[in-house]
Amino acid sequence: MPLSISNFKRRLRLPTVFFRRPSREEQIHGGPPLEFIRPIPEIPWRGITVGVVLVVVAAVTAWELYCRSIGYGPTLNDNEDLWTSRRRAVRPESLVIVGDSRPLFDLDLDELEHGFGKRPIQLALAGSSAYPVLADLANDESFHGTIICSFVPALFLAPPGTPPMDTGEKAVHRFHNQTLAQRASEYLSVPLEEHLVFLKQEDLTLSIYLGKLRLRNRPGALVPPQLPPYFQTVDRERRTRMWERCADPNGPLARRIQQIWLPLFTPPPPPSYIPKQVFMAEMKKAIGQRFEDVAAAVHKFQQRGGKIAFVRFPSSGGLKQLEEHDTPRANTWDPLLKMTSAPGIYYSDYADLSGFKCPEWSHLTAGDSVEFTRRLIPHLREKLHSSVADRSDAPKPTL
Amino acid sequence: MLFNSLTFVVFFTVVVTLYWSIRGWEMRKNLLVVASYIFYGAWNPPFAALLFSTTAMDFWLGRQIAKAQEKRRRRRWLVASVCMNLSMLGFFKYGNFLLQNFQWLLARVGIIYQPPHLDILLPVGISFYTFHSLSYTLDIYRGVLRPTRSLRDFVLAVSFFPQLVAGPIVRAGDFLPQLEHPPRLRNGQFLWGLALMTLGLFEKIVLADTLLSGSADRVFGYGGPLVALDSWAGVLAFAGQIFFDFAGYSLCAIGAALTLGFHLKDNFRFPYAAIGFSDFWRRWHISLSTFLRDYLYIPLGGNQVRPLRAASNLVIVMFLGGLWHGAAWTFVVWGLLHGSYLVVERVCRGLFEHKPWAGALPVRVLAGFATYSAVCIAWVFFRASDFTVASRMLGGMFGQHPHGDAILSTRELVQIASVTAGMILMHWTLRDQTFETVVMRLPRVAVTAIWSVMACAIIFTQGSSNAFIYFQF
Repeated sequence: MPLSISNFKRRLRLPTVFFRRPSREEQIHGGPPLEFIRPIPEIPWRGITVGVVLVVVAAVTAWELYCRSIGYGPTLNDNEDLWTSRRRAVRPESLVIVGDSRPLFDLDLDELEHGFGKRPIQLALAGSSAYPVLADLANDESFHGTIICSFVPALFLAPPGTPPMDTGEKAVHRFHNQTLAQRASEYLSVPLEEHLVFLKQEDLTLSIYLGKLRLRNRPGALVPPQLPPYFQTVDRERRTRMWERCADPNGPLARRIQQIWLPLFTPPPPPSYIPKQVFMAEMKKAIGQRFEDVAAAVHKFQQRGGKIAFVRFPSSGGLKQLEEHDTPRANTWDPLLKMTSAPGIYYSDYADLSGFKCPEWSHLTAGDSVEFTRRLIPHLREKLHSSVADRSDAPKPTL
Repeated sequence: MLFNSLTFVVFFTVVVTLYWSIRGWEMRKNLLVVASYIFYGAWNPPFAALLFSTTAMDFWLGRQIAKAQEKRRRRRWLVASVCMNLSMLGFFKYGNFLLQNFQWLLARVGIIYQPPHLDILLPVGISFYTFHSLSYTLDIYRGVLRPTRSLRDFVLAVSFFPQLVAGPIVRAGDFLPQLEHPPRLRNGQFLWGLALMTLGLFEKIVLADTLLSGSADRVFGYGGPLVALDSWAGVLAFAGQIFFDFAGYSLCAIGAALTLGFHLKDNFRFPYAAIGFSDFWRRWHISLSTFLRDYLYIPLGGNQVRPLRAASNLVIVMFLGGLWHGAAWTFVVWGLLHGSYLVVERVCRGLFEHKPWAGALPVRVLAGFATYSAVCIAWVFFRASDFTVASRMLGGMFGQHPHGDAILSTRELVQIASVTAGMILMHWTLRDQTFETVVMRLPRVAVTAIWSVMACAIIFTQGSSNAFIYFQF
C-alpha cells in the first residue's frame, strides 16, 4: 500500500483519536502543570482556514438562494430594538398606534398620515397586551398626542406573567434600558436584514426548524400551542404587510394559520395545582384590576390633553366565533369604554367597516388594510374630536 | 457589549485590525485600554468611571504596600485595599440583600423597620473585575508580585476587554508580565484564537441558548408541581446550559486574547467527567476556585490543620464562593452544599482511598456518576429564584409529585437527552486531554469540517443576543 494512502487511512481512524490513552505529556493530571504560554496546535492553519471560509460562504449562499427560491423576501425582524427605535421617535404631539398585531397589519401609515396630517408611529406589538405600552405612554409626561389602541380581549386582558404581558413589558424595558451596544447592533442589523433573506428570526432559524419536528407528545402534556409562521413583511417604520401567499383564504398558508389561531386564542385550562374556583376568582379579580389600571392610565393621559380611542379590528371565520363566545363584547368591550370614558370604534357597528374578510381569520391583506384605514379615519376623527375626558362619572364595570 | 452580538463583531474587527497595524507597543497598549473602556462603557458609561476609580485606588495601594517596610503597615494598606474592593462589591451587589436580612432580623426581635429600597443598578461584571484588581494588592502583599510602575498597564490588566465582565478571573500577576514586551504571534496563534471563539460562540448560541435554555426556563418558571421526568429534564438542561454558557464565554475570551497575542489560562477542563468534588472544582471555573484556594483557603490553614478545622475551612470557602455568585440565600445554600460535598468526599477518601477496589473502573464510573448527580442537585438551588421553587423542584425530582404536570414536549426531551449525552460522552473521552492535543491528532479534513459546521450553525441559528448567565454576577 502506498505510504500516503496508508497515512490517510490511519488518520481517518477517528475513534482512536478519542479513545486512545493520551501520552503522559498530553495528560493534565500527572503531566506537567498548565503552561502559561498556551500551546498552539501545529496544523496547517492557513489551508484549514481557507477551507472553512469557502465552506461557510458556499453554505450561506446556498441557504440564502434556497430561502429566496421558496418565496421569502428580505424583511426586518420585528424585535425589541426595532420597537425601541420607533418609541424613541415619539414626540409630544405624535399620533401613536398601540396594541396587538391587528393594527400592525390593518392600519396603513400613509393613509393615516393623509387623514391626520402627521405621520403615525407604529408601537403595536404582535401577540401583546396593549397595557404595558399604554401605561408607559401615560407615564411619559412629555407626551400628550393621540393614541389609537387596539383591543383584542384575550390579549389586552391577559394577566401579568403571561406571554402577552411579557412581550409588552420587555419592549418597554428595552426602551428605557437600551444600552449603547444594543443600539449599535440595531443600526448594524437593519441594513443586513433588508438585503439578506435568511436573517429571519421568526422562521428561518435552527430553533424554528427544530420546532417543526412532529413528535408525539405524552398524553396530557401541557405543551404551549404552536406560533404562526412568517406571513408578513416589516419595514423600518414597522409597517407590516401580509405576504401575498397568505392573501388567499383557501391557500395552504392561510388555512394553516387559521388552525394555529384556534388553540392560541383558546384560554388554557386552569392549572392543576390551583382549585378551579380559586383560579376563576383570581382571573376575575385580575381582569377587574386591569380595567382599573387602564382607566387610571387613560385618565392620567387625558388630564394633560392627550386623546385616545380604542378600536376593535375585524376578525373572521372560526376565530371570530371563538372570540365572540369566549370574550363576549358585553363583558369586555363595554366595560372598557365605561371605565375609561374613552371613545371606541367596534368595527361591526359600522357598515363600511364590517365587510372586510381576514384571509387567515385575524388580519387584513395589505390591499384591504389601505381601504380599511381610509374608511376608519372619518370615524376616528369624529370620535377623537367629540370625546371629552371626564372619568369622574364613570361607573364601575359589570363583569 | 456581548460577544454574541453584531456590535462585537464590528468592534473586534476594528480593534484587531488597528492593533496589528500599529507598530509601537505603547500605542497598542493605549489602543487596548481605550477599546476595553468602550467595550465596558457601551453597557453603561458612568460605570466605566467606577471601574477606573477602583483600579486607580488599587494601583496606589499596591505601591504603598510595596513601599511599607513594617509588616503592620503593609497589612494596614492591604486591609484598606480589601475593604475598598469589598465595600464597593457589598454596596452594589449586596446592599439590598443586607438591608432585607437586617429587616428580617429586627422583625424577629419585634422591631418593625422598613428600610428604603435602594434602586441600585449592578455594574456588569463587578465581581470579576473586583477580583482582577484585588489579586494585585494581595500578590504584592504576599511578595509574589512587584508593583507595576505604569498605571496604564495596570488599568489594562484589570480592564482587558476579553475577560473584563465574565472572566476568567485573570490575576494581575499573570497578565502584567505579558505587557512588558510586545507579543509575537506564533504560527497559527491568530487562527487558533478565532477557532476557539467559534467554539465558544457555538456552545453559547447553539447549545446553551437554542437547545437547552428554553426548557430549563420553562421548568424552573412553572408555578406548579412537575413529574419526575420533567423536573430532572429541567435540571439536566440547566446543567448543560450553564456549562455551555460559561465555558463558551471563557473560550471566547481566551480566543480573543490569543488573537491579540495574550495568553489566558483555561477556565474549564471537561468538568462533568469529574470523579469527586475536589476534582470537579479543579475543572469548573478554575480561575475562581484557584483564587479562593490561594487567597482564602490556604490563609485559613487549608488542610494543614486538624481535620475538623480543615472541614470548616472548606465550608467557609464554599459559603463565600456561593455568596460571590449572587446576593441570595439560594446561592449560599448552593455553596454550602458543595462545601459539604467536599467534606464528605474527604471523609470517604480517608476511609476508602487505600482499598484495593478504589481505583477499579466500575468504582470510578460510579463515583463520576454520583459526582454529576450531586452537582445537578446543587444546581437546583443555583437556578431557582427562591426556596419554594427549589423545594418544588427537588420534590418533583424525587418522586413526590407522581400526579404533577408534564410540560416538556417530546422534542424538548429528545434535545435535552441528546445534548446531555453528547456532553457527558465528550467530557469523559477528553477528560485527561486538552482541545489542543485533540485538534493536533484530528485529520485536517475533520478540523475543517467541524469548524465549518460550527460557524454555519452559529450563522443559521441567529442567536438573539441573550446575555451570558455570568454577566449578572
